[in-house]
Amino acid sequence: MAALLEVKQVSRSFSGLRVLNNVSFAVEAGGIIGLIGPNGAGKSTLFNIVSGFLAPDAGLVLYQGHDVSRLSVPARSRSGLVRTFQTPQVFANLTVRENIMAGSYKQTASGLTAGLLGTPRARADIARMRAAADAACERFGLTRVVDQLAGKLPGGQQRLVELARAWVSEPALLCLDEPSSGLNSKEVARLMQTLQRLNREGLTILLVSHDMDLVTIASSIHVLCFGEIIASGALTQIQADARVREAYLGL
Amino acid sequence: MKQFESEVPSSLPASRLRSVRYRMWGVVAVLFALWAVAPGFASRSVIDMLVFSGLYTIAGLGVAFLLGQCGIVSLAQSVFYGIGAYSTAYCTTHYGWPAPAGFAIGVAISAAIALAVGWPVLRLSGYFLALATLALAIIGQVLFTEWDWLTGGTLGIGGIPHLNLFGFVLNSPQRFYYLVWPVAALLLLLHRNLLRSRTGFAMRAMRDAPAAAAVLGVDNHLLKVKVFVLSAVLGALAGSLFAHYVSFVSVDSFGVDRAINFLLLAVLGGAKTVLGTVLGALFITIMPRLLSRFGDIHAVLFAGCLIAAVIFLPEGFGGALGRMAQRLRARQART
Repeated sequence: MAALLEVKQVSRSFSGLRVLNNVSFAVEAGGIIGLIGPNGAGKSTLFNIVSGFLAPDAGLVLYQGHDVSRLSVPARSRSGLVRTFQTPQVFANLTVRENIMAGSYKQTASGLTAGLLGTPRARADIARMRAAADAACERFGLTRVVDQLAGKLPGGQQRLVELARAWVSEPALLCLDEPSSGLNSKEVARLMQTLQRLNREGLTILLVSHDMDLVTIASSIHVLCFGEIIASGALTQIQADARVREAYLGL
Repeated sequence: MKQFESEVPSSLPASRLRSVRYRMWGVVAVLFALWAVAPGFASRSVIDMLVFSGLYTIAGLGVAFLLGQCGIVSLAQSVFYGIGAYSTAYCTTHYGWPAPAGFAIGVAISAAIALAVGWPVLRLSGYFLALATLALAIIGQVLFTEWDWLTGGTLGIGGIPHLNLFGFVLNSPQRFYYLVWPVAALLLLLHRNLLRSRTGFAMRAMRDAPAAAAVLGVDNHLLKVKVFVLSAVLGALAGSLFAHYVSFVSVDSFGVDRAINFLLLAVLGGAKTVLGTVLGALFITIMPRLLSRFGDIHAVLFAGCLIAAVIFLPEGFGGALGRMAQRLRARQART
């Protein structure tokens, strides 16, 4: 399978402290790829580099075969690389529907002038965003809270809103940062089902998590420890790896 | 004001929804009728206050949009207000050009300065950005004073001709009133459109969670610059209208206190609602004049009013009205 995302020998330091050291891994198209590691392993830094919030000191990030290492976050998003956040980042003063409507931003194109004048194109864009949001609410089980302010929802539902919003943005690669954080076991189970369903529909998912239950849905896992990839492979291989057991599982 | 579609409870039956809308339009019709006949019975000074409210609505709309929809505190509006005023004053008195040329030049210069200054400055955020815009207001005030070859310095520029609309000279507050408010209403309508557009969603998304907005493809910096330029254009337009209304401009009208007034009206009115700008503008124009009857203590009383408004109406007048309307709709939905 072709690699949708390739991280090649990426290094990054903060104030002389090397957080990532020549990290390389690939995300094959159509898979669910897990990236796990203990706290402080450098997962968030790596995730920020992949999504464009941080630039690497050295190394490359290739997406669909192109070097995107210096591309901005919106530019990466426009090419289909979308992420969520460890703490759900909903638009607190917008309703659930409006949050998800905002997800269709890049699928529409009317600008500021069209918006001011309320041109037919601007109105058509809003109708399209609304239709996409309503479909997403249906799909992610958010219809009952569609008119509620997203900031007033409990954490689990905020995470669903964030996921639905990311989904309507039609990503090719969805990067999820600790998506099970703050969820109870039922919600985690539902999340796993949702992610598997999205993956079956063709969405490639990169999953950063320290939740071992969640990463069981991953077809391939990379283990990051102290800024280095120490193991890669299927879950059973990872679980059998002595370095992983020592460094991550504490066995 | 109905800002988002979601403010109308989805459970409201169609007939009741129609009835609510009819009542709303009834209120609008009454307000319009009052507005239309006001110059017939109100005194000249009252109409003068209302004209200034209209001018401040236009300038304040830009500040309110930056604050309420983008989360940007701008204290630079007095500069663009001044540029608009001086441009048309200079062009019409020194060159004898028609007023529209002065308006266009003021708008163009303001937009260019907003772009040039906004591009680097809008990379800042929070109070750093507020201080940077304050610095711009101070620089503007100094230049308006020092460049007396252009602005007339403290002596100002007088003899600015009144606007002439197809032979109808707007040489009284009553006449100007019928220009400034329709212009303000048109701009409010355009901004309401913008608020409900794709760009409006992007602005509010950026305000609430900029990182998440960027992930959805919103270029936060570019969007901020665009809205800043739009805000400057509104400031310049208001300034140009002001110059033709009072026929005389001097640096006293474009100081930091004016910038604070524009921000104040946005905060008091409720920057998240378009209608709030009008209420804020009416408040900061009318309230000081009402309180001036109490003599020297009027400034203290005004400060007290401001503190009370901020404490009891944290979302501003527009926010409070919106909440009241929501409650009314909810009550109607229940009955």
